[in-house]
Amino acid sequence: MMSNMMTMLRKELIDAARDKRSVMAGLYYAIGTPLLMCGMFMLLIGQMSSPEDLNIKIENGERAPDLVKYLSSQGITHGDDQDKSLDVKDIRLIFSDDYAAQMAKGLSAEVTLVADNSNEKLQNSIRRLEKNLQTYSAEMGSLRLIARGIDPRVVQPIKVNVEDQATPDSKGGVILGVATMTMIYAVFISGMNLAIDTSAGERERNSLALLLSHPVSTRNIVLAKVLAVTVFAMLGLLLTLIISKLSYSFVPWQELGFTVSISTNFILLMLLIGLPIAIMAASLQLFVSFMAKTFKEAQSYLTLVLIVPMMLSMAASYNIAPDTLQWLPVSGQQQALIAFIKGREIPMLQLLLSSLTTLVIALGLTFGMERSLKSEKIVFGL
Amino acid sequence: MFHGKPHESEISMADTITTTSPLKLLMSMIMTGFLVMSHSVFAKQDSKIGESRASHCYVDGLSEHLDCGFITVPEDRAKPNGKQIDIHYVVLPAIKNSAHSEAFLAIAGGPGQSAIDNAAGFSRMFSKIRQKRDILLIDQRGTGRSNVLNCEGEGFEGALSINEADFDVAKETQACLDKLDADVTQYGSLSALEDFEAVRQHLGYQKLHLYGISYGTRMAQLYMRQYPQVLSTVTIDGVVPMQQSVLAIGNAINRGFELLIQDCDENKLCGAQFPHLEEDLYKVDAELALQPAIRQVNDPLTGESTRLTMTRSKFMGAIRMALYMPNVRALLPHAISEAAKGNFQPIMGLYALTIDSTGIAMGMHASIVCGEDWQRLTQAERDAANQTYFGQEMITNFEKSCAIWNMPAVDPSFSAPISSDIPTLALSGQIDPATPPSWGELAMEKLTNAKHFIAPYATHGVANQSCGNDLIAQLVDSGSLEGLDKSCLDKDVRRNFYLNASTVEAIPSTEAAVQGASND
Repeated sequence: MMSNMMTMLRKELIDAARDKRSVMAGLYYAIGTPLLMCGMFMLLIGQMSSPEDLNIKIENGERAPDLVKYLSSQGITHGDDQDKSLDVKDIRLIFSDDYAAQMAKGLSAEVTLVADNSNEKLQNSIRRLEKNLQTYSAEMGSLRLIARGIDPRVVQPIKVNVEDQATPDSKGGVILGVATMTMIYAVFISGMNLAIDTSAGERERNSLALLLSHPVSTRNIVLAKVLAVTVFAMLGLLLTLIISKLSYSFVPWQELGFTVSISTNFILLMLLIGLPIAIMAASLQLFVSFMAKTFKEAQSYLTLVLIVPMMLSMAASYNIAPDTLQWLPVSGQQQALIAFIKGREIPMLQLLLSSLTTLVIALGLTFGMERSLKSEKIVFGL
Repeated sequence: MFHGKPHESEISMADTITTTSPLKLLMSMIMTGFLVMSHSVFAKQDSKIGESRASHCYVDGLSEHLDCGFITVPEDRAKPNGKQIDIHYVVLPAIKNSAHSEAFLAIAGGPGQSAIDNAAGFSRMFSKIRQKRDILLIDQRGTGRSNVLNCEGEGFEGALSINEADFDVAKETQACLDKLDADVTQYGSLSALEDFEAVRQHLGYQKLHLYGISYGTRMAQLYMRQYPQVLSTVTIDGVVPMQQSVLAIGNAINRGFELLIQDCDENKLCGAQFPHLEEDLYKVDAELALQPAIRQVNDPLTGESTRLTMTRSKFMGAIRMALYMPNVRALLPHAISEAAKGNFQPIMGLYALTIDSTGIAMGMHASIVCGEDWQRLTQAERDAANQTYFGQEMITNFEKSCAIWNMPAVDPSFSAPISSDIPTLALSGQIDPATPPSWGELAMEKLTNAKHFIAPYATHGVANQSCGNDLIAQLVDSGSLEGLDKSCLDKDVRRNFYLNASTVEAIPSTEAAVQGASND
């Protein structure tokens, strides 16, 4: 029985390896996604950070030469619109005409900041400008008090000490949470083409009936197919992890104040947790494909069906899910992974339960497939 | 260069203290002198690290988890089984946790300041370095959390009303010594250096990049002399050369005063507003030298009515301390001119800043100065120091306190210039009222792989006021002085002087008329 199944599995894998399309589909995702993610993060980091020299439009700067000079010492200067070589941000700073007079009287001198706060590319620059204006104002405020013989500490009645319990690892956890989503998805994508090919495809090529007519039990055939797809899914996951580990080290995370790295422990845990998911993914994809009449139809069904695990995974990584979701397949495992990344305790009960549910679903689907393959309707796609 | 706290606060005042006080702590002044006892009285209470676990803690001003710890060493290395003291350190872990084989050790000044208390300042200043390397801060023995030698006198709450002339330095010094549970002779720089090296070995760093500010430059130079093999690069900022006794600071302070007057004269607005600044300064100084001015004032902190005894010591001391900080320095012409009119309100405000925020452990300060600077002072240097007000005050006070502290003198070889080929960057501020550029030049004598940059508009501590920190980051990153470009230090970042108690911008003509009228 065992050797029988091994032969079947070998047959399935050889078949799959010959089918370049299945192999490439898995590879594309496994290699492409981590690289795409890295590129996206790099772009994002570059856009989010305010440039070293920030050029803005300062109007009536001659009314407040000291403040203009202060801003320039902080790298914020007036840039001429005409000069195309300069990257002048669309932020305007306007000094009121009574600036100096108000200042001299010890009153508040008015400065107007004009900018579009919904423009993500400007937000950091706007914040930087605001912070510098506040610092300047606070410094002058302190010195005005000192000049009047008052200790500036009296206007800071509350000093808030923040003790952030985040660890450097958990700060990067937000990013890795999104990354784990793409990794879990790799499990589903990598084996998908093979699943379709070995079920709907095989039927289209009329080799399914031939296979079933051999003296092999239907159960063994189904199990071999599930195993073959699982192996592909796991290989895809492993590849994704390895590519991620390599490519993530090139992203300048430190500019965000934390680091994201994929440890060997994480890889091992991911593979362990990924295995039941891969089995479920394989049986799910095979089951759906057998239901479809043609290769094309199987593809469109699967695309729809795959939205479900993706939603589960997304809900977990963006933390928008109700608590009950923790116990469901995919999202339960992913939450355990996120907990591991953030250095928290892994919720073992949830992990075990969701893994168990995953396996049960896989088993159910496999059983269903075995039964359906006994029906002529399915075998001949009638 | 002032950075507010990273979080956005509604009201700018939340930043008030951060813009002045941490900076001030970081100024790492050489306090040497008359301030010894009067300040010891108000010395800051040692704040303990909130140690939650053995290795995790938070420090003031930083919200993140840091790695803290300590090693236990014998107070006297000649008696390994004698009294033991704990040397505390904090590691600000590198953001990108690559191999932890190198660290950037920042050494605080004073002598007597705690490096750990200044962690937030160091972290901000060296954020670029921290991206790839751990920053190591060690409380030198006798400071901060490492068996701090504070001198806390009693019954001197009324800082404003005391007359420093009535102060019995010998008695207070003796009282302090009696109270300290330590063999004060063991708190010199050389013993402390052994502690630093022990911490390095304990943490397993193969190489260190050093940064020393003010007195910390002496520690950095000693490190270069004793353990050159473990150093990758060295930066000395506000340099105290080995050849120099810090007690010669009197001349440097005078120079700082003169540069202030010169700067104001050369500034169009300041020169016009305060044409008699120099006369005003010496007039008030001379008057107060004869007798202090007594005023009934509101206490700067409590607002209660209290008596202010404006002495020469308070007046000159407040100005001296303000010279350390470019932003506070801007208020001085106004403050001096008001004082000349009999209004000591601004000077009192400046003096209040200095009362309890220097964070200097005066016992440790005395151990260093008495062992390493006092005894090597030649008669000629002593005579020279006596020419200036501050020099004279220091000589008089250390004469009394060092007799009681009874430190053995360091070996004469201690004062030899450092000869080394470790890549070394020396930074001096042109208007530094403590360590003038000439001191930096002196330190260069036998350094064969070194550059000395003078920042024309910086006071004490160039890294904190200009692009100096970026230059250091570049040095640490490349491990060599090649390609370091000082031109960014030359950027004119001078700010306007305060023209009245409110503004730094030119006062519009009608205002000027009112101002002039009220002044008459």
